[in-house]
Amino acid sequence: MTQPTKIQQIGARIWAALTSLQLTITCLTLLMALVFLCTLAQVEMGTLGAVNTYMRSWFAWWSPRGSTFQIPVFPGGALVGLVLIANLTAAMIKRFTFSWNKAGLWVIHMGLILLVAGEFVAGALQVDNRMIIREGETVNFLESYRDTELVIRDVSDPAFENVFTIPSSRLAKGGALPLPGSPLAIKVVRFYKNAELSALRPEDHAPLANRGVGASVKVTELPGETAENKMNLPGAIIEPVAGNQSYGVWLISTQLGAPQSFVHEGRTYVMSMRIQRQYLPYSLTLKKFRHDVYPGTEIPKNFSSLVQLQNTNQGDNREVLIYMNQPLRYQGRTFYQSGYEGDTITILQVVWSLRSACSSTLAFPCASRWGGGPHHENHQIHPLAGGSTGSGGDRDPGLTPVQGARLRSEYLW
Amino acid sequence: MRGFDLNTFGSLPVLEGGRVKPLDAMARNSLLVIRSQQSFRFEGRTIQAEEWLADLMFRTSVADTQPVFVINDPDVLGILGVPQTTNRYFSFQTILPHIETIERQAQAAHAIEAPKRDRFQNAIANLYSRLLLYHRLRNSIQLADSPGLAFELGVSGQPAATNRYEAMAQIAFFRPLPPLPGQNPDAWKNTGEALRAASQGTLHPGLELLGRLGAAYANADPQSFNRAAAELRTQNRINQPEAQKQADSELLFNRAQPFYAGMVIYVLALLVLFASWVWKRELLQPTALAILMAGALIHTAGLVSRVILQGRPPVTNLYSSAVFVGWGAVILGIILERIYRKGFGTAVAAAAGFGSLIVAHHLASDGDTMEMMRAVLDSNFWLATHVVTITIGYSGTFLAGAIAIGYTLRKHIVGESDVETSKALSGMVYGVICFSLLFSFVGTVLGGIWADQSWGRFWGWDPKENGALLIVLWNAIILHARLVGYVRDRGIMVMAIFGNIITSLSWFGVNMLGVGLHSYGFMDKAFWALSGFIASQLVFMLLCWAPQMFWKRKVT
Repeated sequence: MTQPTKIQQIGARIWAALTSLQLTITCLTLLMALVFLCTLAQVEMGTLGAVNTYMRSWFAWWSPRGSTFQIPVFPGGALVGLVLIANLTAAMIKRFTFSWNKAGLWVIHMGLILLVAGEFVAGALQVDNRMIIREGETVNFLESYRDTELVIRDVSDPAFENVFTIPSSRLAKGGALPLPGSPLAIKVVRFYKNAELSALRPEDHAPLANRGVGASVKVTELPGETAENKMNLPGAIIEPVAGNQSYGVWLISTQLGAPQSFVHEGRTYVMSMRIQRQYLPYSLTLKKFRHDVYPGTEIPKNFSSLVQLQNTNQGDNREVLIYMNQPLRYQGRTFYQSGYEGDTITILQVVWSLRSACSSTLAFPCASRWGGGPHHENHQIHPLAGGSTGSGGDRDPGLTPVQGARLRSEYLW
Repeated sequence: MRGFDLNTFGSLPVLEGGRVKPLDAMARNSLLVIRSQQSFRFEGRTIQAEEWLADLMFRTSVADTQPVFVINDPDVLGILGVPQTTNRYFSFQTILPHIETIERQAQAAHAIEAPKRDRFQNAIANLYSRLLLYHRLRNSIQLADSPGLAFELGVSGQPAATNRYEAMAQIAFFRPLPPLPGQNPDAWKNTGEALRAASQGTLHPGLELLGRLGAAYANADPQSFNRAAAELRTQNRINQPEAQKQADSELLFNRAQPFYAGMVIYVLALLVLFASWVWKRELLQPTALAILMAGALIHTAGLVSRVILQGRPPVTNLYSSAVFVGWGAVILGIILERIYRKGFGTAVAAAAGFGSLIVAHHLASDGDTMEMMRAVLDSNFWLATHVVTITIGYSGTFLAGAIAIGYTLRKHIVGESDVETSKALSGMVYGVICFSLLFSFVGTVLGGIWADQSWGRFWGWDPKENGALLIVLWNAIILHARLVGYVRDRGIMVMAIFGNIITSLSWFGVNMLGVGLHSYGFMDKAFWALSGFIASQLVFMLLCWAPQMFWKRKVT
């Protein structure tokens, strides 16, 4: 028998702490407090805000009134979850011996580890988008719920569109952004996270923009929206330049209906700001949207979207009926019937998650597409689209993410 | 009543709220919404809901003088120009002169999101919607100023009549005319629609009968009324036997009031059990259990009837969850009693059953308790698995809390605390908590799977889900705290009582998020009730926690 070394002693102590039930109880209690706070905070911050603050963070921060520095005052859900997983795993290794009597305990605790780990993955990797289709329309892109982007389209060629997109999050950082493969760059003069536009009155200051509609519009910056069902209405003042040549200072905003354009060396560039899009290698055509109610009431009985799924690369061309509790799963994405607008517009929630992607035979979608700087794509003008859809063209601006009846998260009480 | 066969009248099936129900049920629910009661006293006698409805549709002038609108808000009373007295019930006639003001104020209130309305805005919007319901019922079979359906049929084809039919078709609250054989089974008609069809050549045979029924009622001619009602019933039996059978069954169910009977029996069981503690224990304790089981039997019968009537699993809304939670607690309590035979299981089961049925009774004032399921929730599989498991979890947590309260009362108020019983009680609580942890956990996971299937995410951290998670976490904490020795018998009891608070918060509390202290709607009443409940549980926790010197008799 030899004396355990110092390191062994410390190791044993750490191991004892890591496997202790005290740690379990502490974690569970902290988690309860976090869940409680997160629930209460949802009234003010909306679900997403509260979840990001309390559950998907390493620490819950607090900044004293009137100051900018932040103090970590409470462990966040991510930290507690991680410690809990470590604790559970270690305790299982140390304590559990397998016997049929204990099989139930094993299953429950293993299940717990999976669930907590699953939430980490979901928090980090799940991407929610949506697809809005009008009856008869063909759509081959997803729209973000709240992110926007600047889009510049070279529409000179009748068969092709050269489309450049810059996420608003990149615009917010300012600077000059060269458009890849073109002589142009976009200088960001100013970015508004949330802005109200109104007609310019004589007593107002001269606007920053000197070209297009922006020259006669007053921009008032608003505080960012936090409520779940409201979205920011961002805008920016930009200056397209080619070398030393400026094409004027323009206002772009999701609130401006008509796209604005300038001509550089005979090529016409159309600028607009829109909900961020992600293009798919396939398209859905809405053939029929149904919205049934119980007779004599407004209580929804069923919603369904009959769509034609077309994927020329894979040779897929088939009809799919998407309805409540019956989503379409295709190439790692799941399309849920999530809402509607009027009688003819369907809103599908589109979820990409690691799980569904793994279960599909196809590789990862280009997730990197969602970060970063200007992005360039070539879009063939879609033969089925009536000019307004399918390609990078701007669809009618009538729909904002907050509109449309939502069918999500309904409960019995 | 006055020779009118209102039973037959009440048994006639109508389509309202998306489902076929007896006229009686619709009348009860409507009166419940308007007056918060299913019957009322007027001129020295009790008016039942179906008589009120008959008056409202066929003897409008009488109904308009009956005090059916309950108004509590002082500012709304101010609009009516009446002083705040003990009388809180007003007739349509009293309200009528102020209707424009009410409408204007209600429109202003409607412009504000419901959770942000203040007390007055809520009250006025609520009064307006009740007036609207009253108005629609009043004009459902025939327009209030019409001489009757016979007259309407007679003037068929005249332009003015066509306009009236349109108005009736728009305003009617329910559809009393079933589809004829061969027609779409959903194609029930209101009288306006039927009159329109009649003017185009298709006369619904029920239309003429309804006309006779109404005229007979207005003319105080019970014989003709009863004949017309019987003929309508016969006609339904031939054309829509299923609908008439459904309406008859529901009528029987509503008349039987099994949950009310259950409530009374549970109280009785509780009283007998209390008596057993001071007198003839050997005799009274089994008697109390027998009474409890009788109550449970009626409770079960009521639940099963609802399942059959609705064609749904037992829990489909808040009301039915209360009924089911109580049932679960009673059944668990009976099982405990069979195991431990101390009378304790009987006591907590009876108390839990009574309490939850009282809660259900108050929840019923929202109107129809068998309303149709919204599309997303329309899945009998998940209703039967996720919802039922979760509610059983609630039952267990409440039962554990109830036993813990019993333990506290016994020890600190009655002063009995033999070690053996205390051990038995803490054994019970431990077992019940294990049980409810299992069910809450499985139920929560099932809920996640459902959410993943229909909304695309397993977990969304939304208040409802968080509530369920809190119950799971709390029960897990109790078990682990016991395992590690942080708590013993008494500590577990204190924690089990806190489980009541957690469960009530996740059951009702999350629905009140965002409901400030300003609004005085239904949820607000519930808010105070919930606050009171939580306060009482805190008192019990303190009592249980109090050091030995505060106990009535010291443990030896």
